[in-house]
Amino acid sequence: MIYELIVAGIMISACLAIYFEEAIYSLFSLTIMFILTALLYSLNGAVYAALFQLTMGAGALAVFFLLSEELTEKNKAKNTLKRALLTVAISLLLVVLTIFSPADNIIASFSCNVLFPSALWELRNVDVVLQSLVILTVVLGASMVLYERRRKR
Amino acid sequence: MNYIVLSLMLLAVGFYGLLSKRSFLKMIVSIEIIATAATMNFVLLSSYVNKALGEALLILAFSTDTCVNAVILSLLVITAKKYGKRDIGKLAELEKRENREVDK
Repeated sequence: MIYELIVAGIMISACLAIYFEEAIYSLFSLTIMFILTALLYSLNGAVYAALFQLTMGAGALAVFFLLSEELTEKNKAKNTLKRALLTVAISLLLVVLTIFSPADNIIASFSCNVLFPSALWELRNVDVVLQSLVILTVVLGASMVLYERRRKR
Repeated sequence: MNYIVLSLMLLAVGFYGLLSKRSFLKMIVSIEIIATAATMNFVLLSSYVNKALGEALLILAFSTDTCVNAVILSLLVITAKKYGKRDIGKLAELEKRENREVDK
């Protein structure tokens, strides 16, 4: 039962984070979603993942809260209670679809006997490749912007 | 319970927010939800088979996610400060207007 409640909380807070126009409410919903996700991870035995989720969420949300004034419009239309209830109802429908989904464990044949420390340190090359992809994308974007600016001159 | 469906639902909510909302903050929140949905697969699928590979991959995914967030936030802050706009649609109009002025 507790798993179902956590899943419902995750889905409702995700929908409300998208729905709320006010930055503070939206980020508060996102905070709840991160906390419930970490709780779900720890209940599934992934304590390290829960800790990392909380740490990363805390850092990201601190930055978002600081920048929320910068990144939001001042004169936005206020949310109505009716629409908020509609959003909660839609998210509850999604929860029902999730909990009573007919598809069951698809990954029954997934087997890979790797311990956490070895997996973490042996897969550093994947991390390096992914980060280099991000840096390459940024460099390509910046060079395209500079090229366009020079072409316009 | 099937966590793949939960992940898919979260992914759908994130994509909906990314496509329908034009505010910068909503776009960041949507990207965060999409990232959570993607990383959720690693942990919850690995917890079925009691292996730590998913957790290790999650940490690697977090590092890339943080890089992406940093890049997006810096770009958004620069554009918000330079143009004073917090709406993607208005920003696109501004860019078109600038291009027209340069062409003239």
